[in-house]
Amino acid sequence: MSIRPLKSLKRFKLLTLLAASAAVLAVTAPAPAASKVPISFDDYHGYAATVKYLKDVAAAYPQITALLEIGKSNMGRPIYVLVVSNMKTGTTVDAHVALRNPRAEGVKNVAPMKPDMGKPGHWICGATHGNEYTGTEVCLYTIDKLVSGYGADKETTALVDGKAFYICPIVNPDGVFNSLEKGVSQRQNSAAKDDDGDGKVNEDGPDDLDGDGVIAQFRYKDARGAYVVDDEDPRLMVRIRPNEKTDKPRWSVVAEDKDNDGDKRRGEDPEAGIDLNRNFPEGWWNDQGFAGGSGDYPTSAPEARALAEFFVTHPNIFMAQFYHTMGGFTYRPLGTAPHTRLDARDVAILDFVMGKKYLETIGEDVPEAWKDPARIPALREELRKTSKNKYAIERGYELPYGWKVSYDEVNDRRYGFGMSTDWDFLQLGVWSITTELWNPAKDIPGLPRTSGAGAGAEGPAARLGLERALLKLQDEKYGGKLFARWKPFKHPELGEGELGGWNPRYAANAWPGEPLAGVCDRHYRFEMFRAGLLPDVVVTEAKARLLYTSESASEATAAVAGGEVRIKKGGAKGKYRIIEVTAVVENKGPLATHTARGSALRGNREDVVWLVGARDKVTFLQGTPYQRLGVLDGATRIPSAAAEGGGGMRMATPRTPAEESMMPPPQAQRRGGPPGPTQVRQGGARREVRWLVAVEGDSPLKIVVSSQKGGTKAVDVKVQ
Amino acid sequence: MKKNIILMLAILLAGSLAAVSAQSKLQTNPGGYHGELDYPMSWKRYYGYEEWTKIMRELQKKYPQLADIQSIGKSRMGRDQLLLTITAKSTGKPETKRAMWVDGAIHGNEVNGITCSLYLAWYLLTRYDYDPFVHEILDRTTFYILPGLNVDANDSYVRFPNTENNPREPYRPADDDGDGLFDEDQTEDVDGDGELSVMYVEDPAGEFKLSPDKRRFVRVDDIREEVRRFRRVGAEGFDNDGDGQINEDDIGGPDPNRNFPYGWSLDAGYPYPMSEAETRNVFEFQLTLPNIFASFHYHNTGRLIMFQAPPAVRPPAGQAPGAPAMGPRAQQTVQQRLEELRKTDKYAYLADRQVAPEYQHDLDVQNEIVSAGARILKDYTPTIGGLSGQAHAATYYMFGAYSYLIELWGSPAFEADIDSDGQVSEEEFMKWVDIELMGEGWVLPHKAKHPDVGEVWIGGTSRKHVGRTPPARYIETEALRNANFVLYAASQFPKIDFGEVKVTPATGDLYWVEVEVKNDKAYPTSSDRAVALKRAVMDRITASAGGGAEIVEVPAASTAVDPWNRAAQSEVVAAKGTEFRLKGHETKRFCVLVKMTGAAGSVEFAVRSKMGGPAAKRITLKAE
Repeated sequence: MSIRPLKSLKRFKLLTLLAASAAVLAVTAPAPAASKVPISFDDYHGYAATVKYLKDVAAAYPQITALLEIGKSNMGRPIYVLVVSNMKTGTTVDAHVALRNPRAEGVKNVAPMKPDMGKPGHWICGATHGNEYTGTEVCLYTIDKLVSGYGADKETTALVDGKAFYICPIVNPDGVFNSLEKGVSQRQNSAAKDDDGDGKVNEDGPDDLDGDGVIAQFRYKDARGAYVVDDEDPRLMVRIRPNEKTDKPRWSVVAEDKDNDGDKRRGEDPEAGIDLNRNFPEGWWNDQGFAGGSGDYPTSAPEARALAEFFVTHPNIFMAQFYHTMGGFTYRPLGTAPHTRLDARDVAILDFVMGKKYLETIGEDVPEAWKDPARIPALREELRKTSKNKYAIERGYELPYGWKVSYDEVNDRRYGFGMSTDWDFLQLGVWSITTELWNPAKDIPGLPRTSGAGAGAEGPAARLGLERALLKLQDEKYGGKLFARWKPFKHPELGEGELGGWNPRYAANAWPGEPLAGVCDRHYRFEMFRAGLLPDVVVTEAKARLLYTSESASEATAAVAGGEVRIKKGGAKGKYRIIEVTAVVENKGPLATHTARGSALRGNREDVVWLVGARDKVTFLQGTPYQRLGVLDGATRIPSAAAEGGGGMRMATPRTPAEESMMPPPQAQRRGGPPGPTQVRQGGARREVRWLVAVEGDSPLKIVVSSQKGGTKAVDVKVQ
Repeated sequence: MKKNIILMLAILLAGSLAAVSAQSKLQTNPGGYHGELDYPMSWKRYYGYEEWTKIMRELQKKYPQLADIQSIGKSRMGRDQLLLTITAKSTGKPETKRAMWVDGAIHGNEVNGITCSLYLAWYLLTRYDYDPFVHEILDRTTFYILPGLNVDANDSYVRFPNTENNPREPYRPADDDGDGLFDEDQTEDVDGDGELSVMYVEDPAGEFKLSPDKRRFVRVDDIREEVRRFRRVGAEGFDNDGDGQINEDDIGGPDPNRNFPYGWSLDAGYPYPMSEAETRNVFEFQLTLPNIFASFHYHNTGRLIMFQAPPAVRPPAGQAPGAPAMGPRAQQTVQQRLEELRKTDKYAYLADRQVAPEYQHDLDVQNEIVSAGARILKDYTPTIGGLSGQAHAATYYMFGAYSYLIELWGSPAFEADIDSDGQVSEEEFMKWVDIELMGEGWVLPHKAKHPDVGEVWIGGTSRKHVGRTPPARYIETEALRNANFVLYAASQFPKIDFGEVKVTPATGDLYWVEVEVKNDKAYPTSSDRAVALKRAVMDRITASAGGGAEIVEVPAASTAVDPWNRAAQSEVVAAKGTEFRLKGHETKRFCVLVKMTGAAGSVEFAVRSKMGGPAAKRITLKAE
């Protein structure tokens, strides 16, 4: 996504930095001594080194990692996900329920589930946009912390044992490869497409005119140019307003590029394809029924499809982070629609729980309303007088700089079409966010003060001030490698001028060394906080009580007729043991097992609990073999203001997330035949369940509880 | 001095002449031989995957001058989706001609679509040499024919015991019953008789009894009646996962015809648009074919012509949502117009939809085509198709191609309803089985052992190809009529022709030369939707002169120098050519101002139309 500060930098295209110039800051990466695969953050890894790192980690830590190739880019480069989870813990329903008498046709379309799919999943990815590779580094940092902390750090060990992390450092391999390895900054994926319709494919991209390995900028004197030289630092070019009068010479600044195919246009048919973060199914169409997002259709890009398919086949994923740069803030949903499409309970978790923690992490003030939701009615009244944002008035607070939505609330206008975070949140019910990493004004310790500079400040003066400070810093601490001095060059089409300026490699990404490591660490910690919020569904108090024995199971069956069970005490003795099984299923995690949104979505299911025994030896007298539990609440009380007024945003009293809407899917509602599975209707985070079964001999029983996003657990039942 | 201008016309043929050998066979006698035995095959049975693809390969081998075969991709289970591309290669490559797309059986169980589309391919190939109608169509048009779209489920439906409803979807595993297991409890042929019928168990509290003829299970009306009673268990199958339910999680995932991008929503089609290999292969392939002009998609059942219509105009402001977009007066008008039309054509149809003026022609075209379709297909009802991620919604709304979803066959309702009350009673149905199916197609109730339920009774239902897909004896009739409809639609693809030529003296040596450019067919040279999508390639006319004639450039506002007001009625062809679009049944007039510099000269008009084909006309001018 884009940013406002440093916008001028982002326009510039990029280049390869030679290895020699890479080690610019002597900062020790915070590498724990225990790591078998050392990693440093003194420069960006790029595609090849990232892949090597993932393979090395997967080889070094086979018990807690697995490397998956989830698809290939348009240019054939694999997209990798590293699963970080203890492969020995975790189970799935299909490992316990035996099937019999299958169809003679024998179609094998269902693969056995992997153990990690029985744990709450946490997705973290970087570089959906190829030139936003700071997220890649945060992913690698997170992997490093998880694998090296496993066994050493208690919290990390618990997370790796109990959760499944799916880390995809590079969603867009071609974009990253071109941006870092090839030196051509590329936000989009690659596509063999004839952009200009001249019959030739990708024939006119950016060019390294002087062969210095950097695609920087070309500036030339131009009476109609939009730039002048900065007074304080003549290396900086300052954009002036169209009608602004000036006595200084005017310049034009363009990307380092020439016309490769003689059509009098420069860079009109590069390898760049489409913006992957506009290729997802949510809000891809515009209101007039024409394409709004990128690509021929939603998920048309192989990279977007790989993600969509991975999420759909891993319904255990409940937390998701899509890293972008830059700005130093987080976009929580939504960007395609106002918050009226969200459930107030989900908004409360997003803002009061996650948002609060994020602001604390990056050192920004937390809004009053989040600290004390009871004050919201009063704050709402204040906003009525001061705010032009009707959604802020409904909520009772403006969203702060560090935690906001990309939807333009003031003008009631959508930000874009087909974005991954909206899709994930609205269509899969995943707690998805997009963090725009890197705010140089805040993330560089000891950034020199110059006139005009200010953290998060807006406006041309502030931007110029920041740029001056950054230039000074790169002079002092990076040996001037981030900004090429202007040197004369004769452009084949534009004539005399100069090549130089910011190296695009660093223009929109956290600067290597201490700043990058700091960004990585803060965001790693924030995601671990979120991982700790995941639900954790367990069986407590499983009990089996022998009531009596019987000659036949069918005799016991008859005793259930009429919907009541008459338990005969004493009576006949026989090989059938009539057993009452009771258990408590509980969600020990802070969050409920679905978002309020997710509990109403197709593709999501209720939590269920099975009592599993040998088919021929166990007869169910009361309670069906599996019982539906609805959605289990979490331990976190949903913070809210009492239900006063507030238009579309009703902060209603918290209740169980939409248990009533979690109905069995339509296919399961059939007429005739036996009645459906028992529905357990209890609120809160606990469910007390019960079965009455006739068991032949001492055939074993076990309870398997399975929550789509809260994990699967199996417990053997001992008969007392 | 008076001059007479004699016109000599020579129409330049577009494309080359068809092969002479082929022409010698061309039939004009409807009683003559039309090539059926050149590749004989039975149209009175269904074919499984291996068989129908073998037929496709053989047809291509026999008619290499007309057909290409290719796989457009693989299904989830690895079967190739084979596609035939059919056109007369002698008149141009397939991609250079406008095209008709035909696919069948996107729903696995609706295998009648396979026979209908396969029949169309066979009809085109065997008849090309013999049938002038087919011959002309294939000279100008390409057919892309994909007989089985959902190949895994299609093959299963034909070859294995199944109810008429399954398998319907591609084989993405799904947890239909929400128990955490995927596709774990499917139907089974419990008694091994090759049919999937319905199971009952004897139960004193049951609601069913055997009918007097012992062929059916019927409801017990009188609760006091003392009779052997049955409880209905459901379709034949076992309880595979031991949850007490039977067949509650059958094979397959999302509805493939809710998987296309247009009008898609999560509720219509979990999990995401184009998620299935089978549908994505089709759509990706269609994206490479900008020449698709119309499409047919075969389904079962219901005898419907579901065509895509332009978007309805929104209800006027203030009107409740869901209210008809068309005001009562406009609706009355449609009804009155329809009554008028039906005085002379009982098949006439008018869509009950109000559309924006820029879409009116698309609606008019569809009205005309589906009225003819109703006439050809008999007992089929035209109706506007839905959006919701359906394939034919994407073809119209995303490509601007006219699209039709045909619900083939129609259960035996039309044949069996002998008291014409609009319904088929069980008695009527049994009569139909006895008389018209000659006893075929019924499973008699019988006992069987069941490992989960104990003793069951199975039967009292029709067999597989009776309700949703037609019994073998009806396959060919269905296929022939539907092939006729597709060919009729293809015959109405636009065709650019020149009409009347007029030469009018202006002043001095100057003459207005005017031609009519017309499209006598029903379809326009590009749809309104294609125009809205900016996918339409405009038709283009250019004019040139030779010999003793030269074209005088006329400024756009030319009426002032034109005493006969010629240019006001017809458009002056610009020096660089003039762009236009011809609607169905439309004629436009173009003119140039010619200066005679010698005794004789010529003017040539040339039209390039992507969908309507090239056309040219030379006019020789001679001063006497």
